[in-house]
Amino acid sequence: MNSIETTSDLLKPTTRLKRRYRVERWFKRLGLTAIALSLSFVAFLFFTIFSDGYTAFKQSYIELEVHFAAEEFSQEKLANADYPGLVKHAMRTMFPEVTSREGKKFLYSLISPAAAYTLQNMVEADPKMIGTTQKVWVLADDDVDMLMKGKIDRSLGEGNRRVRDIQLAWIDRLESENRLETRFNKTFFTTGDSREPELAGILGAVKGSFFTLLITLSLSFPIGVAAAVYLEEFAPENKWTDLIEININNLAAVPSIIFGLLGLAIFINFWGLPRSTPMVGGLVLTLMTLPTIIIAGRASLKSVPPSIREAALGVGASKMQTVTHHVLPLAMPGMLTGTIIGMAQALGETAPLLMIGMVAFIVDVPGGITDPSAVLPVQIYLWADSPERGFTEKTAAAIMILLTFLIAMNSLAVFLRKKFEIKW
Amino acid sequence: MKVTSIFVAGALTLALTAPAMAARDYISIVGSSTVYPFATVVAEQFGKTSGSKTPKIESTGSGGGFKLFCSGVGVNFPDITNSSRAIKASEMKTCADNGVTEIVEVKIGYDGIVLANSKTVEALKLTRQDIFLALAKEVPDPANPEKLIANPYKTWKDVNSALADTKIEVLGPPPTSGTRDAFVELAMETGADTFPVIEGMKKTDKEGYKRVSQTVREDGAYIEAGENDNLIVQKLQANPTAVGIFGFSFLDQNADVLHGSIIEGEEPNFEGIAKGAYPVSRPLFFYVKKAHVDVIPGIKGYLAEFTSEKAWGEEGYLADKGMIPMPKEERQLFSKNVASLKVMDMK
Amino acid sequence: MYSYLLPCILLFSTGAYYWGASRANSIAEASGGMRSLHSLPSHYGMLTALSSALPALLLFIIWQMVEDTIVTSLVAKSLPAELLQLSANELTLVLNEVKNVAFGGFGAHNTAPAIQTAADLYLSTRSWMRNLLGMGTIFCCLVPAVIAYRSINKDLRARNLVEGTVKIFLIACSTVAILTTLGIVLSVVFEALIFFQSVNFSDFLLGLQWSPQTAMRVDQAGSSGAFGAVPVFVGTLLIALIAMAVAIPIGLLAAIYLSEYASSRMRTWAKPMLEILAGIPTVVYGFFAALTVAPLIRDFGQSLGLQVSSESALAAGLVMGIMIIPFVSSLSDDVIHAVPQSMRDGSLALGATRFETIMLVIIPAALPGIVGSILLAVSRAIGETMIVVMAAGLSANLTFNPLEAVTTVTVQIVTLLVGDQEFDSPKTLAAFALGLLLFVFTLFLNFIALRVVRRYREQYE
Repeated sequence: MNSIETTSDLLKPTTRLKRRYRVERWFKRLGLTAIALSLSFVAFLFFTIFSDGYTAFKQSYIELEVHFAAEEFSQEKLANADYPGLVKHAMRTMFPEVTSREGKKFLYSLISPAAAYTLQNMVEADPKMIGTTQKVWVLADDDVDMLMKGKIDRSLGEGNRRVRDIQLAWIDRLESENRLETRFNKTFFTTGDSREPELAGILGAVKGSFFTLLITLSLSFPIGVAAAVYLEEFAPENKWTDLIEININNLAAVPSIIFGLLGLAIFINFWGLPRSTPMVGGLVLTLMTLPTIIIAGRASLKSVPPSIREAALGVGASKMQTVTHHVLPLAMPGMLTGTIIGMAQALGETAPLLMIGMVAFIVDVPGGITDPSAVLPVQIYLWADSPERGFTEKTAAAIMILLTFLIAMNSLAVFLRKKFEIKW
Repeated sequence: MKVTSIFVAGALTLALTAPAMAARDYISIVGSSTVYPFATVVAEQFGKTSGSKTPKIESTGSGGGFKLFCSGVGVNFPDITNSSRAIKASEMKTCADNGVTEIVEVKIGYDGIVLANSKTVEALKLTRQDIFLALAKEVPDPANPEKLIANPYKTWKDVNSALADTKIEVLGPPPTSGTRDAFVELAMETGADTFPVIEGMKKTDKEGYKRVSQTVREDGAYIEAGENDNLIVQKLQANPTAVGIFGFSFLDQNADVLHGSIIEGEEPNFEGIAKGAYPVSRPLFFYVKKAHVDVIPGIKGYLAEFTSEKAWGEEGYLADKGMIPMPKEERQLFSKNVASLKVMDMK
Repeated sequence: MYSYLLPCILLFSTGAYYWGASRANSIAEASGGMRSLHSLPSHYGMLTALSSALPALLLFIIWQMVEDTIVTSLVAKSLPAELLQLSANELTLVLNEVKNVAFGGFGAHNTAPAIQTAADLYLSTRSWMRNLLGMGTIFCCLVPAVIAYRSINKDLRARNLVEGTVKIFLIACSTVAILTTLGIVLSVVFEALIFFQSVNFSDFLLGLQWSPQTAMRVDQAGSSGAFGAVPVFVGTLLIALIAMAVAIPIGLLAAIYLSEYASSRMRTWAKPMLEILAGIPTVVYGFFAALTVAPLIRDFGQSLGLQVSSESALAAGLVMGIMIIPFVSSLSDDVIHAVPQSMRDGSLALGATRFETIMLVIIPAALPGIVGSILLAVSRAIGETMIVVMAAGLSANLTFNPLEAVTTVTVQIVTLLVGDQEFDSPKTLAAFALGLLLFVFTLFLNFIALRVVRRYREQYE
């Protein structure tokens, strides 16, 4: 720059110019690599989850011929009948050659304990069934299911797998008679948690997450935006404002389980809200996500050029009108980004919920914000910690559901962000 | 404006879905994560067959469970707490101070604690002395058995020449865990007693004895893993030289990839633990508030389900899930206690 | 009628808005055009709407909070004498039964007559109180709205009133953060103080050994329980540093590329894809770190002849870094994107390459926002639990070697709180002390960060 060059020299690329262009090219490539790298992480994680979880959407069923003997239903209540006995009887008629006590135990264990519930529901729905023989498809046990899906290796020795040789023979026979097949797993989408992998469903957790996030979003977004606007646009520059600012930054670093302690102390013990409910969960997650939304909101308000404000003020708008009509719409994309990230965090959080009783076994699907319920990450955490092998695929499937939830939420926000975004 | 209307709509939905705070019509259970997998099976069975609501079971850890349980009598407090250890005197006092004076104690069965490693290598054959030498912080000096030194053993072969020449690498629960507590007492303490120098301390220096026999080494040979036992199982598969400590039910479910270490000639299997031949197992409990039994619907039914033979019996469904049943007499005793709601003696 | 109250309030206030606005319009017409009004008609409308909605909502919310208490205490008074003898907590059990019967959940067949009567009383009391509330709410909706409506004239300073109300709302929202902080301090400080009765404060703050191996039962003598917080904090810093070493370069480069080089289509797609990284449950990252990354690092390290433990800070930190990439990339992208185009144009017109423009013009202009996003990412790294539990273990080693196992503050807090030991032991209480110390520690860091940002902030235009 400090050497005086002639016109013809200027048109010729100098070494210095070449170097500057080289740096430029490298920088661009570096940026592209960063994105490619991050996207490949996404792709890799998606692939692992999907390859573990897609089998959970199928489930093995066994067909039984159940005789609903009238004498079994002599008690006054239908619920008191021996439904497991009916299942066992049906299995014995199908395999009359099994007589030893141990053999019977292995035989019965091919069928899920859920089969008895299926029969109970059928009889309660239609008591005329009593005295007849019906063909019923019932859930197979999780071990049979794992075998059908190839997650138990047949080639291993008998001692090394959970399915005995004799059970293998029975399963092969059932399969050849078309009495054993895998179908779409409707149960997974229509029931709550269960300790039997074949019966476990995600609906309870999905509804719990939905209610919880609804509360979190409807509280944290307005409060977060309002706080950011006040701090950035209205607050006088003094020690008090500094204090609030440091405070909010600090809250973002408070471990999430501490928010759980806070929720336990205030919402449950002091306000007397019911434990384990989406209401309390939503409130705790609101406090947890607020700092994220406020910080992101302030950053985007800061990036609105002062000229916009000056122009609005110059034509006579009040401070409030300037903010609501001009500054806020321009800062909206950034605020939405903060909200997405905050919601994503709230959707995936387990630790604070531990303290307010949401890490729990809840079978009944919640109907509202005051029913006890689990949420998706809690369900994932609990299933990931269960000993039964069948829960591995359920865990991955639950993660897939959570990601679907997340992507749906994100696309809505992306759509809104797109609408608001202006480059000037 | 559109965003605002979305939020108004959201708030409206919320307000409409919120019923008035209804009363509690389900059983609330808290407590140990070790008892959790068993209690949940009973709860589910109870909920599906009785027509009552399924009990809500939180996994809070035994200590957190007692904290909640002992906070008072009333609808806001849990009815039952699960525990992987017996209630402590201090907790009983907290309970009594808060008006929880009538507690029914129910022992439900045993949980075996196993050492296991990958099937790609041979199973370890250990004595409790080996376990102590491999994992204690201070051990008797091999050169001078009267002196205690910091644990010098690096490989299993150093501990016992019959063992494999691999690095000691044990993945186990952290000191806050009841599993660890039971393991230390049942495996290491007994192992420590085999050395006269430590055994001798029992009388002269009780504090020191406990310190030596119960402190686990912290130089990296014992790795404190979290309480996610499935993760330990998978880590063992990835790292065949490592050994893991966890509950029997996880070994039971993963018998195709892991095998349990044989301790003093006893394989950790169902029969061995139930008979009491396998030396490392601990009792599991739950505690019921008597004042709640008649008021919260379903508690009686739940207790009856839990103490029925088809649940905790030798052929019961809890045994299928990996819990080790108590002997018949003990089962009879506790189911009688439950039926008559015999309360504990609160000193 | 009760469940329709809230929609009613909203409907009323919407009506009030148009009502007020139309009155302002007609006043304006009568007195010679809009310019004669003090505020815009919409301000008058807003004022009417607010004065109808706010009192009614307030009444409604207060009622929601106290309804149960009032009705229950009324019912409790009518209970037979022998039930009133019970202690307060036992009484809640009886009342719970009353409510269960009232809502017809179960067990209606063998209810005591006293309980049945109480249940009927409960229902009837609640229904007449709700009717009363309904009337009260409608009163609160209408009367203030009418008063506001009547007071509308061309000199009424409606804008100032409305804006003042909004400003009060804004201030209230920003104090939520202060209240939260206060709540957090209060909910940990008492337990922390009890902890410091059994463990010396300076031992905790400066102790170099963390090993909460104290006894869990009375019959066990206390073995070495060392509560020195230094190794735990060093571990936290180490893991957060590794995570930031991954997240800052990748995140910042991605943000710059997205906002400066990428086509707008790519930006629309790539940005939300990256944001998914922040939403993947931490359990997934935990398994990924423990079962894929950690063995890789161990094998690679051993092939170089290094001593690498199976649980390493490096594995946890790397994976955590991946997780927080979107915190840096998305937020920075937004602020970089918001830098005025004229600044880019100016710089490019002077002959700077894009790289130079970015480095010398855009980044300095966007710096406060970028620092904010980085602070947020650091915060998330410090607060993360699951990845560390699964991949770096719980052993507190005092080391700066990323190849060794370390532990973090949050991991210790979680394990201590959900452990099996009793709640009043120093072991559990240590969790509260750690929480408090971490709180003070991050407060200090944030204080410094604020100073730094103030100093280097550049305001353009």
